[in-house]
Amino acid sequence: MARVVVTQDRGAPRARLGWGRPALPLAGALLLVVFPFLGAGTFTTTLLTEALIYAIWAMSLDLLVGFTGLVTFGHAAGFGLATYAAGWFAREVAPELPLVFVVSQSVVAAVALVTGFVATRVSGVAFAIISLAICQVLFQIAVGWRAVTEGMDGLVGVPLPRLFGRTIVPGVEFYLLTVTLLIAVYVGLRWLVDTPFGRTLQAIRTNEQRAAAIGINVRLHKWLAFVISWFVAGLAGTLFVFMKAGTTPMVLHWSESGNVLAMTIFGGLGTLIGPIVGAIGFVFLRDEFTTHFRAWQFAFGLVFVLVVILFPSGLAGLASRFWSRP
Amino acid sequence: MDLNFLFVSALNGVIYGAFLLLTSLGLSLVFGLGRVVNFAHGALYAIGGYALLDLMRRAGFGYWPALVVAPLLVVPVAIVMERLTIFPIRRRPEIYTLLVTFGVSFMIIGAIEYLWGTGTSLIQTPAPFGGTMSVLGNQYPRYRLVAAALSLLVSAGVFAFVQLTPIGLRIRAITDDADMAEALGIDTKWLLSLVFGGAGGLAAFAGALGAPIFAVQPEMGTGILLDSFLAVILGGLGNLPGSAAGAFIVAMTKSIGGGYIADWSIALLFVVVGVVLVFRPTGILGRGRVA
Repeated sequence: MARVVVTQDRGAPRARLGWGRPALPLAGALLLVVFPFLGAGTFTTTLLTEALIYAIWAMSLDLLVGFTGLVTFGHAAGFGLATYAAGWFAREVAPELPLVFVVSQSVVAAVALVTGFVATRVSGVAFAIISLAICQVLFQIAVGWRAVTEGMDGLVGVPLPRLFGRTIVPGVEFYLLTVTLLIAVYVGLRWLVDTPFGRTLQAIRTNEQRAAAIGINVRLHKWLAFVISWFVAGLAGTLFVFMKAGTTPMVLHWSESGNVLAMTIFGGLGTLIGPIVGAIGFVFLRDEFTTHFRAWQFAFGLVFVLVVILFPSGLAGLASRFWSRP
Repeated sequence: MDLNFLFVSALNGVIYGAFLLLTSLGLSLVFGLGRVVNFAHGALYAIGGYALLDLMRRAGFGYWPALVVAPLLVVPVAIVMERLTIFPIRRRPEIYTLLVTFGVSFMIIGAIEYLWGTGTSLIQTPAPFGGTMSVLGNQYPRYRLVAAALSLLVSAGVFAFVQLTPIGLRIRAITDDADMAEALGIDTKWLLSLVFGGAGGLAAFAGALGAPIFAVQPEMGTGILLDSFLAVILGGLGNLPGSAAGAFIVAMTKSIGGGYIADWSIALLFVVVGVVLVFRPTGILGRGRVA
């Protein structure tokens, strides 16, 4: 059975939404920018900020899972690593945002280059597990390297970020910073997946053996996709540590990797709008449920199972099934 | 003195390796048989621990009878889980089984936290194996040696079952070539349910057997699940002797490394796995197939 070469698309079921109709993303972006001025309270704005940070993270995951066909169970790694690198630098050296980004992104990229080299030796199930193992290693280091990470207590007291000499205050200002980065990441990834490089990734997702047979360096492309994905996840992590004014090893916990995977799958793999919708839905639902409902984790697992069995193409897949029948 | 420290670390490694052997055999069997990657294996391990706990505290069982009954309770749980979640997606790529069982493991751990709370429960070392015994001049907990011997015995039983019985023959046939086996009239669906139940029982047995050593808490299965996965990948997915070798490599690395560099031993483990995968992406005993 394993020897059969499957020729049809083995990758994630892909929904078609968002591309070829720029009106929808544009309207969405506009809505996000004006949202805090529509009379939303501080609580809602903060919650939405968190959701949009997760959205950047989920899009970075989608590049790996939805576009390259590499399912990872350790995507908390790049995100969590960036929270530590950025948080530590901001607190110990300077909270200058451009500088913090340079430092945290360099750390994330360097670690991704090394770990990705090993992880992308394998694919499929083995890749999922190895990526989880990488994340567990980082979790252990975050717990154990007390001199820098302060162990289970976590890194606290991260100052507010500064940009061009002025402090960015929490609330609307930080929200707008997040929206800006979100739009930049969306546009950047949108561009990337339609470049020859992005097309090559999708060829690998569709059929790895065939891609290799027509001369694509599969391993190199998977490696690069891994590094880019971690890099983008790192952007989200850097924002996150400023939003929470600190970080703990729990950002590297395996359930966080599960959360981001769930957001991406719920929203729709292989689309970039999907993960954004998934992240927003996830954060608001979680907020609603954890306050009233003790069995959140059980319910979350149940929904996860049902979605994977019944709607593997997520919300975006459902939407496109109803709205754009060919 | 240093050599002695090494000896005790190695002994710890053998004990842990015996547990990993039990859990990774189950994982490997199910993978070989149905291309099912069971992320909920660690959660079944945890249920084993909690079943033991309830049998002892609420039903008044002694440790040893509970150790026998607890896995038997988990077998139907595993079979129902297979029927409800794996069966509907049997035609999809194997990565979906990993995703679905990932969700199931969230459900089980969530249910455990809901029903039993998030605390840690300790189980007293069962008689008559309390206390320590002298091993080459070291005082070593007696129960650990007994538990390791028991898991090696059960693992040997699993090997014998697969190698010597008619059902084992069918299991090997399906692992080798599922389509051909089915064409020859072997009912793969029925057998997969059965083996899934058996593997769940093995995991639960390991959880119950390890309860006096590692304590019982909702996340007790996570660490051992990851280590078993690493063992299975190291050995070559679906390859039973490979999994056995992988289990001891992982356990020894963790234990001996842990003796010297404490928290960093998991990083050392990753280095070992990395080196193996860079040179042999199919695992140590895997044959040509990159999973």
